[in-house]
Amino acid sequence: MAEIVAIVALSHAPGLTGWLDRASASVQKNLLAGYAELGRLLRQAKPDVIIGVANDHLLNFPMHAIPDFCVGTASRWTGPAPWFQDWVNVPPYQVAGHPDLAKTLVREGAREGVNFAFADELLFDDNWSVPLRYLTPDYDIPLVPIHMNCVIPPLPAPERCVEIGRTIAEIIRMRRPAGERVAIMATGGLSHDPGGPKYFAVDEKFDRWFLDLLEQGNAERIMREVTIDKMLAAGDGGTSELLAWMVALGAAGPRKARTICYEPAVELRCGMGAVAWPMEAQS
Amino acid sequence: MGIRDFDRTLASNRMIFEVRRDAGKLQRFHADLEATMAAYGLTDVEKAAWRNVDIHRLGELGVHPYFLPQVSRLIEGAAYNHNKSAAARLYAAKMKIAGEE
Repeated sequence: MAEIVAIVALSHAPGLTGWLDRASASVQKNLLAGYAELGRLLRQAKPDVIIGVANDHLLNFPMHAIPDFCVGTASRWTGPAPWFQDWVNVPPYQVAGHPDLAKTLVREGAREGVNFAFADELLFDDNWSVPLRYLTPDYDIPLVPIHMNCVIPPLPAPERCVEIGRTIAEIIRMRRPAGERVAIMATGGLSHDPGGPKYFAVDEKFDRWFLDLLEQGNAERIMREVTIDKMLAAGDGGTSELLAWMVALGAAGPRKARTICYEPAVELRCGMGAVAWPMEAQS
Repeated sequence: MGIRDFDRTLASNRMIFEVRRDAGKLQRFHADLEATMAAYGLTDVEKAAWRNVDIHRLGELGVHPYFLPQVSRLIEGAAYNHNKSAAARLYAAKMKIAGEE
């Protein structure tokens, strides 16, 4: 019986690594402090492996075959993908994978009604490159990336994403070896609109409402009220990346999230935030 | 225009998808747009929108919204993509939306 030792969610907008100096001094300070704190919490939990959940930005799956969830099964990952390197401004890196855990998720997921696709080759853009740069800058914790469909309708419903998270947590607890320490890291959001009319705007009201709901720890209410329609209204092109956070929410169960930081960072074209769900091992 | 309105069968979507993933295809895209568009089977209206870098029109035709800022970066470069960068200003101008003041 393995243990989930940390569950976190955070924005991955490329401005955080690519042009943070364009943000105000206070935005820079608060985000850097928040991401440092989140990294400290994550590393302090001493995970053997991180399961990442994030939007695939139309980078890995051709239009004729879009999986809702694809588990990365490789033993080693590299990033950023070449075309994205100067955009995210993150030096090339390598991080180990964890094929055994990844294949457990795929195999056991199928038995639990989850049709995980899987792949040995996945290109990384801001989805992992930005979070890893801040949270695990030594790239020393193996990563099982789950690339999900957050922006190509029909999207997996919030209820389904929460259910997937619950299933992942169940598989870890029931199908992984005792002593294994697993962290879950969802990345994406908050409000942003790449490709839409709100490209240079952030919906702070939506973001704070969503973070407040997470802090209340009421998954049923979140599934009911944080609809895809509301996410798209807050920023059509990207806000539904919060579906990845719903997976983390499902794994977290009834725990109340703690907001580590939030900034409506118009300069980064994204509502930037990070939360952590307190786990027993940390309390 | 929004993610619910895009046309996943549109040839331009396949072209953008592939050129970002493959250095050789990206080089050919920059070297010879006409040949690249022909190779992917773009329609005449798609080709006209590309020739004019008409990002808004590409969106109307069904290019995925997420690709639209990437079109501006394919044209103007992606580094240091802040709100007043050449790529961001191109996007704002073509989409007829206000950029950062």
